Amino acid sequence: MNDIDFYTTLQGAIAGNHKDLESILVMYESLIRKYCYFNGKYDEDLHQYILIRIVLKISKFII
Amino acid sequence: MYQGQENGELNILRARFTIWLEKLIKNAKIDYLRKLKKTPETMSIEELFESEEPIGDKDIVIPSQKMTFDFEEERLAKAFYELPLMKRKILEMLFVEEIKPEEIAKKLNCSSQYVYNQKFRAIKTLREQLCKGENTDE
Repeated sequence: MNDIDFYTTLQGAIAGNHKDLESILVMYESLIRKYCYFNGKYDEDLHQYILIRIVLKISKFII
Repeated sequence: MYQGQENGELNILRARFTIWLEKLIKNAKIDYLRKLKKTPETMSIEELFESEEPIGDKDIVIPSQKMTFDFEEERLAKAFYELPLMKRKILEMLFVEEIKPEEIAKKLNCSSQYVYNQKFRAIKTLREQLCKGENTDE
């Protein structure tokens, strides 16, 4: 994804477009997964918690 | 030139968003772990009744029943009566009557250092006796 595509996707995600939001989440999946480990184990609940937090807060990001 | 500048701005935006998102994820993780700590482990009543054995007569402890603590005390008393008279007297004055070592020294007509030494030796002997008792029990 080039920078212009990223910009449009991010704009869509901030506006509440589900598809764009999904693309952003897929794009940052590895980063999210990195923080889902607790005590050396992958925590599914923590993953869910982080995803919910991103969905709720992404609209606050100022472009 | 203009396009290059625009591309640079978009690149900065991408980097800014990545940093913002990472911060958000970190904070979310901290919040989650905090909540996890605060929530005490819960168990349904049904599970509780299943896991716990019914309370029987064995579970009720009557204080008068002989326990390990009483046994220790008994051994301590025995070891105490095996001590020499002077040491016993000094320990009694120190711990039962709660008299200061200086006053004991005056009463017994000796130096306070002697009282301290006797106390130390007596306690050491008691400790040794108790340890010896433990080893022979095993």
